Amino acid sequence: MYNKVTPEIVDELIEIVGNKNVIYNNFDAMEAYSHDEVAEKSYAHMPDVVVKPSSAEEISKIMKLANKYKIPVTPRGAGSGLSGGAVPVEGGIVLSVEKMNKILEIDKDNLMVVVEPGVVTNEINNVIKDDGLFYAGYPMSVETCYVGGNVAENAGGGRAVKYGVTGRYIYGLEVVTPTGEILHLGGKRMKDVTGYDLIHLMVGSEGTLGIFTKIYIKLMPLPQSKVDLLILFKDIDTAIKIVPKIMTFGRIIPTSIEFMDDLSFKTSCKYLNEKIPFEEAGAMLLIELDGNSKAELEEQYEVIGNLCMENGAIEVYIADNATTSERIWKIRRNIAEAWKQYSPDQSLEDVVVPISEIPKFMEKVRKISEKYDVPIPCYGHAGDGNIHATPVKNPKFTMEEWLDILHHKLLPELYKEVINLGGTISGEHGIGHKRREFMSMALEPAQIEVMKAIKRALDPNYILNPGKVI
Amino acid sequence: MGEVWTLAEFRHGELSSVSYELLNRGKNLSQKLDTALASVILGYDIKKEDIDELIARGADKVYVVDDKNLENFLVESYANVLIALLDEYKPDIFIAAATTTGRTLMPYVAVRKKTGLTADCTVLDIEEGTGNLLQTRPAIGGNILATIKTPNTRPQMATVRPHSMKPAMPDKNRNGEVIYKKYDESLFKTRSKYLRFIKDESQQVTVQDAKVIVAGGKGVGKEENFAIIDELAELLGGAVGASRDVVDRGWKTYPHQIGLSGKTVSPALYIAAGISGAVQHIAGMQTSENIIAINKDSDAQIFHLANLGIVGDLNEVLPLLIERIKEYKAKEASANV
Amino acid sequence: MKIVVPIKQVPETSNVKMNPETGTMVREGVESIINPLDLYAIETAIRLKEKFGGQVIVISMGPDKALEAIKEAIAMGCDDGILLSDRKFAGSDTWATSYVIANGIKQIGDFDLVICGERATDGDTAQVGPGIASFLDLPLSTFTSEILSLNDGKIKVRRLVEGGYEEIELELPAALTVVKEISDPRLPTLRGKLKAKKMEIPVWGPQNINADEENLGLKGSPTRVVKIFTPKVTREGEKIIVKDEKTLNEAVDKIMDYLIKKEFI
Repeated sequence: MYNKVTPEIVDELIEIVGNKNVIYNNFDAMEAYSHDEVAEKSYAHMPDVVVKPSSAEEISKIMKLANKYKIPVTPRGAGSGLSGGAVPVEGGIVLSVEKMNKILEIDKDNLMVVVEPGVVTNEINNVIKDDGLFYAGYPMSVETCYVGGNVAENAGGGRAVKYGVTGRYIYGLEVVTPTGEILHLGGKRMKDVTGYDLIHLMVGSEGTLGIFTKIYIKLMPLPQSKVDLLILFKDIDTAIKIVPKIMTFGRIIPTSIEFMDDLSFKTSCKYLNEKIPFEEAGAMLLIELDGNSKAELEEQYEVIGNLCMENGAIEVYIADNATTSERIWKIRRNIAEAWKQYSPDQSLEDVVVPISEIPKFMEKVRKISEKYDVPIPCYGHAGDGNIHATPVKNPKFTMEEWLDILHHKLLPELYKEVINLGGTISGEHGIGHKRREFMSMALEPAQIEVMKAIKRALDPNYILNPGKVI
Repeated sequence: MGEVWTLAEFRHGELSSVSYELLNRGKNLSQKLDTALASVILGYDIKKEDIDELIARGADKVYVVDDKNLENFLVESYANVLIALLDEYKPDIFIAAATTTGRTLMPYVAVRKKTGLTADCTVLDIEEGTGNLLQTRPAIGGNILATIKTPNTRPQMATVRPHSMKPAMPDKNRNGEVIYKKYDESLFKTRSKYLRFIKDESQQVTVQDAKVIVAGGKGVGKEENFAIIDELAELLGGAVGASRDVVDRGWKTYPHQIGLSGKTVSPALYIAAGISGAVQHIAGMQTSENIIAINKDSDAQIFHLANLGIVGDLNEVLPLLIERIKEYKAKEASANV
Repeated sequence: MKIVVPIKQVPETSNVKMNPETGTMVREGVESIINPLDLYAIETAIRLKEKFGGQVIVISMGPDKALEAIKEAIAMGCDDGILLSDRKFAGSDTWATSYVIANGIKQIGDFDLVICGERATDGDTAQVGPGIASFLDLPLSTFTSEILSLNDGKIKVRRLVEGGYEEIELELPAALTVVKEISDPRLPTLRGKLKAKKMEIPVWGPQNINADEENLGLKGSPTRVVKIFTPKVTREGEKIIVKDEKTLNEAVDKIMDYLIKKEFI
């Protein structure tokens, strides 16, 4: 249904973005654009050509060209995604926004920054922290990922409990539509109900409805201090029961409430040679608080700590300086790396269930894990019920066996259980093409029809990031 | 003008080569001050040739205290003897190597002599006019250099970083004075007892003695992979270093740790493999003469320090390198036959 | 069993970035922590207490801010803390610092062990531990990597030296400086934090430790800093990027050339 990219088309692309911003007939250089952070090679696909535009106008021209020749276009940020969203599954053009990496404006009067999509998320915080400001969006890949990708995926991450996800901070977008129109949505207005909320239609559209060229981001006052609590529990049930109590009894909203099951932290602690008495524990919570005074945080961690001790915690550790807090966050951050020692083939899942259902979900996971003899460490953002259940290839399986089990048995069953518990299959990583075949499990047909209608309206030739979401 | 003294380190019946490095430093100080250069050697069963060697390497005088009680290093007895010597001969300057012995003995002595001591110096010089010893040392993890002096008290004491200077070359024709001192039993009384020495096979060459260090970081990936680091180190006759991450993970033991919370080293060649170059690590090795860095991440801090940087996977680069070195050595060997 | 642990508060450096131009640490907004190497001394002391009973007292010389470090040590499991703080202490070198801390420890009195970290990560002299031992005229084991036994007034230890380990035995009271190998420091617990918060930490000046004013601060310091300067560390040598077999071989050739040119092989 799509046409191949011919040398003539490449010449036209060079016309638009210039010779040095086009990669063609160069396998080595293009290979990097054929995959994202999804471990499984099977999700990779080579582009025919990579273009690196530097303005909305250039992107608009590229889209019009692509429509004219029916060439698929796959927009790409830093390629740190976890759903295959930036992978050109139909080949064609990969449109990388890496050249559009400028912070255009820091507006302290309106607490806004205006950035291009290729800005590394953390870079924003680096430039505004001296003004006592920060951007609360905080995906775990914050050091490498681009803001554009964060918006396209509506990225969540570590701080969502208190600060919500990316979309909450997006007040304006300049978007190039699949047909090459340039839209200017929202801006620096705190309130805006004039017409449909197209901004939040675009946020999380995974690069299927438009390409962002300017992003208006709301900033927050930067908290002056933080404290981390590492809490050991005998089992998952006890650990999870605490989570709502922290907010109801404690009247405290932590920055993050991270959860680790024993499979996760035991592997990680052993890998790190961490000597805290983790063997006694069956589950861990890692709670981070931020605020403006050490005293305020002291009160809060006492409340939470006591609450935990009264409710069956084994031990509560307090980290109020960079050394100790690094030591406990290391446990959380090294889970994936630690499991790689066992097997590099993992499927980082991203399911969400109502917080109260996490223990039930964990039981189901255990059953599935036993049934297929596949270890499934579970960790993630307990505060949002967002659990990174991560099936890891048992070395005894061949790659074929593994992929068959994973895609045709294990994942469908896992997703089914999640949905039965009132959850859904992705909380922050997105559908992309990794979970596309499963989306119908989570959404009713009518919903998918509406989505398709929207897609058709904006992208009649179905050329923008085909093979993703719907 | 008092003499310039260096401490000759005599361990397990052997004179350590740092003693000659100290003589090299001492020589240039004593010449500037136009005074005698002396070595102090404490121990038991000290061989004549060792004393002669000290003279050949530049000592005008050698003070020898040879006593069964000094067979092994115990800070109390060693300090008592040194203090007796210092009180009697009143040297102007007294330097020792910043070894475990020097860094234990010197502060213990300096306190009792109520005089200044500067640790782990990399440069020693004489101040014009005053004749004071100018002692320069890295501080805050080598991020600054401080020059320090001891204006009013004597001796001016310093420990000197091993390998921060070449050993003095021997000159068999030199002759010098040897002063044997005997002391009363009471001086050797200690409340500590030496039991035994246990060799650590993993430290055939210790990182602080090594001219070449091959150090591995988290990038090595896993404990098993350290074999290639070990092999390369052996091939280059060097020691194995490790980043803090690696030691924390238990892949290597603490004696191998380089950095702010480990050892500070200045070898002739430092090969950093899979080390990103955190401030703490850099603090421990930035004074190395030559640095070769191998790291996957082209933005790694370590590349700022490297004379030669390889952006790539050490698990690909090192095996090939080892192969080449072996070929090269084989060629050399056959050529020399 | 009474154990005294002298500690130092130092700037936290793990998140500090290097300034590639000057090669210096970027130190803005750096917080203060317990000298990382002191944590091993604290852990060692607490374990001895847990095994043999008694108390662990941390002592530190520094500004009021150093109370944080003392409270953190108590949160880890130490029993008491003392801060040695006075304008007159300012500008002390290792001799004067050892003097003040040793006098503080004398005030505490009838102790069995003084356990110090190997050295502080900022000053990096490793002289204050042995200095304290000398002022208190104690038998000393530096670079201690293991405690082998402790009974009838004697402690048997293993110390890390060039090329291996030495085992020595010290009569109590004695002083140790310990290396990282000796233990894995515990994390402060909530219970500990609460205890530390309630605790009043006494602050001692010269009069409390009957110190001779002549031995304090700059006046009591035999050494003087002549100048402080910054070494240029950045070299920015050649960089080769390995993309494939070809570049891999080029890279290894480069290393070989370098090793041969500089006569390392």
